[in-house]
Amino acid sequence: MVRRIILLSLLTALTCTSCDMFEAHPYDVNITGERGVTEKNSQKIEKALNGKKEFKFAMISDTQRCYDETKDAVDAINKRGDIDFVLHGGDQSDFGATKEFIWMRDIMNGFVMSWFCVLGNHDCLGTGKEVYEKIYGNSDFAFTAGNVRVICLNTNAMEYDYSNPIPNFGFLKSELENLPSEIEKTIFLMHVKPKEFIFNNNVNDLFQWYINKFPGVQFCLYGHEHQLTVDDLFKDGILYYQCPSIKDRIYLVFTIKEDGYDYEVIKF
Amino acid sequence: MTMKLLSFRVYTIMIFIFSSFVVQAQENEIPRLYAMNDEIFSDTVIQRSSHSNEYDRRIHSYRKAWNALIPTHTKLQYAGGMGLFSGGIGWDYGKRGQWETDILLGVIPRYSSKHFKFTLTLKQSYIPWSIYLCNNFNLEPLECGLYFNTVFSDKFWTKEPERYPQGYYGFSNRVRTHVFIGQRLKIDIPEKARFSSKSLTLFYEISTCDLYVVSAFRNSYLKPEDYLSLSLGMKFQIF
Repeated sequence: MVRRIILLSLLTALTCTSCDMFEAHPYDVNITGERGVTEKNSQKIEKALNGKKEFKFAMISDTQRCYDETKDAVDAINKRGDIDFVLHGGDQSDFGATKEFIWMRDIMNGFVMSWFCVLGNHDCLGTGKEVYEKIYGNSDFAFTAGNVRVICLNTNAMEYDYSNPIPNFGFLKSELENLPSEIEKTIFLMHVKPKEFIFNNNVNDLFQWYINKFPGVQFCLYGHEHQLTVDDLFKDGILYYQCPSIKDRIYLVFTIKEDGYDYEVIKF
Repeated sequence: MTMKLLSFRVYTIMIFIFSSFVVQAQENEIPRLYAMNDEIFSDTVIQRSSHSNEYDRRIHSYRKAWNALIPTHTKLQYAGGMGLFSGGIGWDYGKRGQWETDILLGVIPRYSSKHFKFTLTLKQSYIPWSIYLCNNFNLEPLECGLYFNTVFSDKFWTKEPERYPQGYYGFSNRVRTHVFIGQRLKIDIPEKARFSSKSLTLFYEISTCDLYVVSAFRNSYLKPEDYLSLSLGMKFQIF
């Protein structure tokens, strides 16, 4: 009896030690696996869509604590075979815990195409911002897809003090001044739309003024509110498309054409 | 003058007589008083001794209370969501010492963040059984309990800061609640070889915290090795 107990205990201990299960803290920023995900995917998509004027991309958002649904979305989008890249509208984590980012990164690394993820307000909690920056890179970034510049912005002003400019007009300015010559259109991706309380609403109009300065603005994409909505927020013809939470098992597909674009809502 | 003198004498005599009566009366009462005094006296003795007893008892219980606060053991723990390394003091109590309470200070290394952090853990364990194996070795086949951990860093809050609408996030990112089960091996140190502790207990624990339980709930993608974490530790029994 005693011998059996000892053997069993040893076995359990051994099976556990063989896995990487030692954790210092849920917010320890101990990142295992891939880093610099945004940069790698930017290079990949810029190469893949070089010179193209028509392509298709999908958008998912607010995947916090929906690992099963996210996995299903990755499978569903891969299976279609016609999507060139995927955008994630932020909030991949619910608590900002380090492992949440790692789990989501590992699921989304299952995308056969390039994928990009903006920073959500939940991603900022605790040490979440630090984890995001290490795994993905800067929270304001942009990449070129064919003749379109996709500008991804951190708009979670509520989660920062004034030491960080949110939204980052300096970044928008440098983007505007350094646009690659092939760019004819622009798409914006953010987690929180202007006029939402997490956005710095003191600069709503200034933000939209900047957006309008970019060439051929197609639309703005965001998540956060877990709803499916389309609004002309500033009554200037620029549509803001909201992607619902992945919990609703919905993803959006945008087809960029030479003249205009198509918008689809896909249930999976 | 003579009258005055006389009256003085009379007064004196009267006072004397009266006072002698009083004395007599007192004398008459003396035995009773003595008897009473005896009682009082003996009572007083008891009272006096009980007063000093009360004092002794109070001092005794005062010392006992503070003595009970002397930690009975120290613990070192590796990992377990309370810092990569943590150590602290603890108390065991209960008829068979089956309860343990520990306070542990831990360190989270910097890893990829800007600063390293300190954490504080309050841990409560229950160790229901101890099985004698062979000389000096005892197996404690089950240890279970929970611990609360807090991080010292201004990135975390217990109550949401005022900038958020009330209950916006609905949780505290500073305080974590963990539950754990584990097993322990207790090794008694022979008296000759004792230095500062009388026994050494080696243990491992499998734990999970509130955030992971909530995450694993309704997600089959997450496997036990994702949301469970392992820790190893040592307990030094001082007395």
